[in-house]
Amino acid sequence: MEKFDAVVIGAGHAGCEAGLALARMGNKTLLLTLSLDAVAFLACNPSIGGTAKGHLVCEIDALGGQMGINIDKTLIQIRMLNSSKGPAVQSLRAQADKVAYHTEMKKTLENTPNLYLKQAEVCEVKDNNEVKIVKTLVGDEFECKAVVFATGVYLNSDIIIGKTVENIGPNGFKNAKYLSKTLTDLGVKLLRFKTGTPARINSRSIDFSQLPVQKGEENIQNFSFMTTRKPKNILPCYLTYTNEKTHEIINNNLHRNPTISGEIKGIGPRYCPSIETKVVRFADKDKHQLFLEPEALSTNEFYIQGFSSSMPTDVQREMIHSIKGLENAEIMRDAYAIEYDCIDPTQLLPTLALKNRKGLYFAGQINGTSGYEEAAAQGIIAGINASLYLKGKEELVLKRSDAYIGVLIDDIVTKGTNEPYRMMTSRAEYRLTLRQDNADIRLTELGRKVGLVDDKRYKKFKKKIKLIEKLKEILEKKLKLDEKLINLFNENNESVPKTNISVKTALKRTNIDLFKLNRVYNLFDRKIPFDVINELNIMTKFEGYLKQQQDEIERAKKNEEIEIPRGFEYVGLKGIRAETIQKLTQIKPLNIGQASRISGVSPADIAVLSVLIKKYKENK
Amino acid sequence: MEKTIASISTPLGKGAISIVRMSGEKALEIAFKVFNAKKLTIENIEPRKMYLGNFELEKGFFEKCLMVYFKSPNSYTGEDLIEFQIHGGILITQKILKKCLDEGAVLAEAGEFSKRAFLNGKISLNEAESIIDIIESESESELKSSLTLSKGDLSLKIENLQNSITELLAKIEVTLDYPEEDFDEDVRETIKKEIGDIKKQIEKLINDSRNAKYIKHGINVAIVGRTNVGKSSLLNALLGENKAIVTDIEGTTRDSIEGSFFHNGIKINLIDTAGIREAVDEVEKIGIKKSKEILDKSDIVMFVVDGTKRLSDSDLKILNLSKKKPYICVVNKTDKSRAVEKLENEIEISAVFNKNIDELKNKIFDIIIKEEINFNNIIVTNERQLQELSNALKNIREIENAEAEVLEVIAMLIKNLWTTLGKITGNTENENIINLIFSKFCLGK
Repeated sequence: MEKFDAVVIGAGHAGCEAGLALARMGNKTLLLTLSLDAVAFLACNPSIGGTAKGHLVCEIDALGGQMGINIDKTLIQIRMLNSSKGPAVQSLRAQADKVAYHTEMKKTLENTPNLYLKQAEVCEVKDNNEVKIVKTLVGDEFECKAVVFATGVYLNSDIIIGKTVENIGPNGFKNAKYLSKTLTDLGVKLLRFKTGTPARINSRSIDFSQLPVQKGEENIQNFSFMTTRKPKNILPCYLTYTNEKTHEIINNNLHRNPTISGEIKGIGPRYCPSIETKVVRFADKDKHQLFLEPEALSTNEFYIQGFSSSMPTDVQREMIHSIKGLENAEIMRDAYAIEYDCIDPTQLLPTLALKNRKGLYFAGQINGTSGYEEAAAQGIIAGINASLYLKGKEELVLKRSDAYIGVLIDDIVTKGTNEPYRMMTSRAEYRLTLRQDNADIRLTELGRKVGLVDDKRYKKFKKKIKLIEKLKEILEKKLKLDEKLINLFNENNESVPKTNISVKTALKRTNIDLFKLNRVYNLFDRKIPFDVINELNIMTKFEGYLKQQQDEIERAKKNEEIEIPRGFEYVGLKGIRAETIQKLTQIKPLNIGQASRISGVSPADIAVLSVLIKKYKENK
Repeated sequence: MEKTIASISTPLGKGAISIVRMSGEKALEIAFKVFNAKKLTIENIEPRKMYLGNFELEKGFFEKCLMVYFKSPNSYTGEDLIEFQIHGGILITQKILKKCLDEGAVLAEAGEFSKRAFLNGKISLNEAESIIDIIESESESELKSSLTLSKGDLSLKIENLQNSITELLAKIEVTLDYPEEDFDEDVRETIKKEIGDIKKQIEKLINDSRNAKYIKHGINVAIVGRTNVGKSSLLNALLGENKAIVTDIEGTTRDSIEGSFFHNGIKINLIDTAGIREAVDEVEKIGIKKSKEILDKSDIVMFVVDGTKRLSDSDLKILNLSKKKPYICVVNKTDKSRAVEKLENEIEISAVFNKNIDELKNKIFDIIIKEEINFNNIIVTNERQLQELSNALKNIREIENAEAEVLEVIAMLIKNLWTTLGKITGNTENENIINLIFSKFCLGK
């Protein structure tokens, strides 16, 4: 029997990051996928990033992950969302060439030492405590000490179009038919979720002349700290809208929609409703915005963003043809809904390991999340922690104040989710601190500590930090109250200061920044990278608010630091409500902070629990 | 130092006796402020002995009750502990608790007595089991009593405010998380309008609860001014035939009150003029601090000047101090020819000839009780709740000052406002923003 340190099941966005992290941290790792043609496949929209998701990509990158590098290499359009708003909600969003994205990631996997990529369907995982046996459908058996489950939406999935239900995977790939049973045998509770994807149409049949163009932005930064070349915009996207005719077609055919006629039972995400749902729920809206996005440079296929549906194909066709610019659209792939098994994520520890067992990790859509970026974020953490487990080291748990990744994992393992979980900036209570621009500053050291950040990245990072420190002296420089200063302030609609002011004080004005000051005062060399000056700028501008948030983080830390001993028995505790005891037993929070975030646990419960924990520790 | 806590320890509405407990370093001190029994003093009180005496609910209004003192560490909590046993109904019991809170105790959190007992090592392992049993029932009854204390009315109002803020936050968050959707609303305008509305509501709450305080305790007025400007004669003029009240109050705990009189049904307390006479001298030396302390105790300041003289430096110093509070400039001795400059908020009187004294009383009343008191709107709050309400106003000022800031900063400040209000009722976890985003806005890929 072939032996590995770890086996990763699934080579989607979670599996790729998990496999790479394990291999790069020195573990002999087998990465199994149902199809080598589905590695890092963008099964739905051909894009990476977006609000909060751009943050996740940058965080994955800072820890030493691959997603950022891969999208930088394969993007065909890029924009900064929310550029008119503040730095904390600015997120990169790129159109990916989905063929290139897949090929590039596959090549990276193939060339990573310690990593073995193989096509096979896993039918059983045996957990013999320290040793696991992973069996494939064709009879191979692999021995390992840690397994990462990253099966995406492939677990016993059904594809639904109108009345037609097929037990296959997305996009015609095969699905994983046997793993659900293995999980149930391991005592894991399964949920059934639903999502969907819109139709793809041939660009030669789209009348682009009628549609507004949406171009990418030039002179924009990359996702990855390591990418040096400027991103290039190659293809634009287009904008169109549904209309009253579209809505009429939908309303007339609602009885043929499988959600209504009962074929679909899974729980779909509220933030990603089908066009049918949108028309029914928001009946007062007379149109819905749609984006037409190119799928790759090597194909004519276009993705209709905002138009996912599970209507029968004849209705889909009629709906699409009612839309401006799409009157003659050739449909190449029909829209479909997909139902799949996933696990209730509250069965996991914040390390992403399954509770009550050793060495079994879960990452990605199998945990009830949605999105490539959310999956990859869990993948890298599962990979890191499986590796730390194999080496007998303390595992990595990112705090809510460290990263969006911390918020994501804490949310799903503490509160669970009753729909596919999507990251949003409003989920982060420390949003001002968790910015895309400072992801490297927040996480590179942590990535280095666990051994995933290589020398090249670390050196470059250290250099940046040093430069920022050095440039801080600029902030103390005094600007004389003269014509130059008066003009600058007037031009930027800021009231003119009454005396000489420091650069630091000037930066507190909304419309003044270091780049504008530099044009007048030559404060720093223009060759200094944008990200360095940008960081200095933001740190200074938001100093007061960031400090306020830091104080809050310190206050919250007190509870995070009261650890709940492993094996602490909740059953039979007096003074805590029965329902709370039940929840605590299920979630097994690592500390009082996590316990306090479990839904329905009251401050009084937490007060009593703190006392009982203290007593328990004293008696130990 | 741990705060001294108090709560009603018996279930409300059941049984003939109810017990109010107080635990902490200040328990005994507070007890002697509110309770007196024959020949009993803080020096001669014996622990674990039951004393029958009078609990002073309001000035001159007493309720007979029993008091027991458990001396630290020989008490349930291990701290100094006072128990009042009351043979009254719910209302009296609540008034007794309220009085303890007014005198410096804070309302105990659910289970806090038992928590302290444990922390102070009063509960052994064997005892622990059985005593923690009580916590559950205790937290229930304490929760109920704290709710009734705030009349539930306040909770409801706070809840409504929090809901409006949550809706506002959802409107902001959706534009931040879904920049590619087109929303017609101008968020910044919405914020301005809604925060303005919320501000008015909070101000009204504060006003209503201040009114409640004034109805109960009266308005505290400080009379300040240099020596020989006529403060004593003004005092006498104001008190008039109400002098009797002065003697009533002597010897009570409120030694800082020089005298009180009623005006339009509200008691007006003239405070600590003696202290201020000392303080005036100190103003000229170093003594801003003492004067400040006196001013802090007052709701409004009467700054008295001698109308026959121009303002001196000391006058100006005192005037500047007075401006920290609502103030009235009282120009005295206007029976003689006037030499003093025109002052803001001034009123001309003659204390000796009783001229304009009623007008002065009206002015005090009008400045403090801005709107007519509507007894249906009275909100009962404790000091902590009132403090949080003014913190909420502080949050609102921050929001207003950040008008030009980026939206995520404004959102953060609005969340702070939500949390501050939540501290009043204990609801500080907001899980509804995201739910609202999805129910109110049409979004999706």
